Amino acid sequence: MHDSSAKASFSVKCIYNIIDLAISFLLNQTFDEFRVLNLKHVKGQVQQKRQPKKFEILPPRTDQMPVDQDWGSVWPGPRSFHPATVPLPVRQGYVKKGAPPDKYGNAELMKIPNFLHLTPPVIKRQCEALKKFCTPWPKALDTDEKILTPLQLNARAKDKFLRLVGDRYNEETDTVTIVTDRCPLKKQNYDYAMYLITALYHESWNVEPWEETKSEADMEYYDWNKNVSKASVEAIFGKSSEDIPNINVYSDAVSSLMNEGESEYTVSRYGHAVRLLLNLPTS
Amino acid sequence: MTMSYILKNIVFNNVRIQWNASRILHTSPVCCKSQAGRYRITPKKDFPLTYEMANPPHQIAHRKSWNSWNTTNIEGGLRSSETAVEDVFIRKFMTGTWHNLFVSEIIIKRQHNIIRIAGIIQRSVGARKMYFLIGYSEELLSFWLQCPVKLELQTVPDRKSVVFKYI
Repeated sequence: MHDSSAKASFSVKCIYNIIDLAISFLLNQTFDEFRVLNLKHVKGQVQQKRQPKKFEILPPRTDQMPVDQDWGSVWPGPRSFHPATVPLPVRQGYVKKGAPPDKYGNAELMKIPNFLHLTPPVIKRQCEALKKFCTPWPKALDTDEKILTPLQLNARAKDKFLRLVGDRYNEETDTVTIVTDRCPLKKQNYDYAMYLITALYHESWNVEPWEETKSEADMEYYDWNKNVSKASVEAIFGKSSEDIPNINVYSDAVSSLMNEGESEYTVSRYGHAVRLLLNLPTS
Repeated sequence: MTMSYILKNIVFNNVRIQWNASRILHTSPVCCKSQAGRYRITPKKDFPLTYEMANPPHQIAHRKSWNSWNTTNIEGGLRSSETAVEDVFIRKFMTGTWHNLFVSEIIIKRQHNIIRIAGIIQRSVGARKMYFLIGYSEELLSFWLQCPVKLELQTVPDRKSVVFKYI
């Protein structure tokens, strides 16, 4: 009986020793992902919260920038704002009282488009680099008029030309814009544009046989010289329209009345022209 | 017999109609409260807000600007619906890939065919992991969207760096 109890106490002691050994072994380990077996409820063995790792961060690049650095190589292309690269104390945001938020951790500064890649010296440098790819301006085109009206077209051909180009013609600047972007190469696009202009020019000079059959009903504007008004005036005066005094005023007034529609101005102008034509007293 | 049946039917139908009508009619006033993008004040006033969160949506273009920059919604703009869906996808992909790292909204800017994704992340992972994630995101997004994608990120030490105020 005595023997067996001694044995039992020995075995219990042995187990305690093993556990102690295990605990001390676990405590000595550096990895803290596993919880420590705490049988004795010893204080101070509470699981420590893992501290967030501190990463080595270099100081911002702006601290080391010389004053006379080449900004074009620091910021070569379009890019979102970065506070550690831009050596300016910029701020953005609205605060009721106090200064606006500074550039670090400021999302508003990252949102807005910036032109830090287009500083004047950089633009100048890029223009200089592009210069060698440019051809000189044609010397014959020295005035604006020569640039804007190089196509030799008469009234009929111009009318047809404008009908062919449609809304590509800008009335204000008197220019036709032709955009070609279907071909893969720039040269092909340019050649196609040149082809289009040539074709347009020659096509507008072409007179198709059906164009001659255009009657008065097909006219898109009122031409006094081809109308009944001229014939009746000539019948009243009994001579050719060129010999009638003040006929130009009358023909202009009739044309504007028919082309622009009835308005107070055109009607009064027409009345005035009729009075002049018939030698009536003008009010 | 038939007459009473018809009468009964008419009466019951009328009652049913009335009962239905009373169920359809709403008599409570309309709640015109706008709540989207606004945050409630907490009792302890310890809820952190970024600058973006602190300004409600009606302050866009006044105190804060848009998170998506593109020209699809102006007159003559192309593929506005596709752009909107792509932006949602990019945001979901970025928040999932950069798990628990973004401390700002994800800003998506489109110029020609380039997509720039900007944002502020916290430094809770190492630089090597960040470089990997940048390359990974750029590669996969540019493959899916079939255009160059650039990540332009800014890091801050922790979430507290972008807190604008506590409410």
